[in-house]
Amino acid sequence: MTDDRDLPPDLEALDRDLRGIQFRPRGSLGPEVLGRLRRGERSKGAVPPRRSRPALVALAASLVLAAGVALMLRAPGTVTVDRCCYDLDGGGDSDDGVVIFAERDAEVHQLRIYEDLDRSGAFTAGDLIRLDRGASPAMHEAAAEGLVTIEHCCVDFDGGGPADDGLLVLGVPPDRVIMAAIYERPAGDATRASAPGGFLLR
Amino acid sequence: MSATPERPAAAQHPPSDQGEALCREWYEAHGVAVYNYFRFHVPHVDVAEDLTAETFLKVVRAVDRFDPARGSPKAWILTVARNVLADWRRRARIRQYVSLGTMHDLVFEAPSPEERVLREEEVGRLLDAVATLADADRELVGLRYGSGLDTAEVAQLLGISEGSVRTRLWRVLGRLRGAMSR
Repeated sequence: MTDDRDLPPDLEALDRDLRGIQFRPRGSLGPEVLGRLRRGERSKGAVPPRRSRPALVALAASLVLAAGVALMLRAPGTVTVDRCCYDLDGGGDSDDGVVIFAERDAEVHQLRIYEDLDRSGAFTAGDLIRLDRGASPAMHEAAAEGLVTIEHCCVDFDGGGPADDGLLVLGVPPDRVIMAAIYERPAGDATRASAPGGFLLR
Repeated sequence: MSATPERPAAAQHPPSDQGEALCREWYEAHGVAVYNYFRFHVPHVDVAEDLTAETFLKVVRAVDRFDPARGSPKAWILTVARNVLADWRRRARIRQYVSLGTMHDLVFEAPSPEERVLREEEVGRLLDAVATLADADRELVGLRYGSGLDTAEVAQLLGISEGSVRTRLWRVLGRLRGAMSR
């Protein structure tokens, strides 16, 4: 490459290694961006246009009404969410997943942390279950020495729509998981991740 | 999309369908470069995806500010991406971020799962070393290797000469090599 014709020879290997790194975004990201654009979604940094006070009052009233209607019309029922692959047991490999059986955007009925042994990217019968809990996010066993906290945020873990949920895991590396729970990031919090203090663990 | 100096027809005041067409065209041409730029800076796939989406939303809304006489669409989009990253860093500083990344988006035709793991570890070590660099150094590495801009494009984007880009890049690579040997 003519661009680097003068690159010192001792840096060539590192240059080659860096050039060799390439990531591929998931195929659905492009359509997702177009969808957001189509819905007229503003970027987070955009300054909202000025509105007159009566217009703001009307807008607020319509938003309240829309929220009420949305709540009434929201599809009831349970969802099963399977997210993979993270390092949730502290083992150092991103080969763990979580399966959550929950009321949509509400209480969790079952939460399972698994090791994706077959690298299928989803829970299968051959995977190793590290934790299997019911509705309560209580400790699976007594706290042990070397306990670490692993947090992953923000993903849609409860099928409620936006990627606004965090997953909190307590474990002892490299393979013990003692507690796992999800929490919802408060509405309006512009940060991507939040410490779970004060949040309702589900 | 080529870097020809003609202003895109949709770039005047695009109605929504033209804006959408432009977004699709630019995402197809430069989406991977923007995503890779972010992946050199953030270890989390979902954050990189979010920042990429954010960048293209901003790009379409600000398209009438794009001046092809001042650079290619790719360089302009990456300028927007740099601002998006800077905004994200400001917000991320507010709270502690304890999260671990994954590399399932790494392009690597592995002959076996074990070799893929080894490759992920190797790339992880390299990017961990990149993360120890000063912001300006990381920026240079992200633009050059993440987004794949050539020296001239990096020079234009940073407002410095091509010679300066080369010199700075060699120094950064030297520091990176030092960081990796520690």
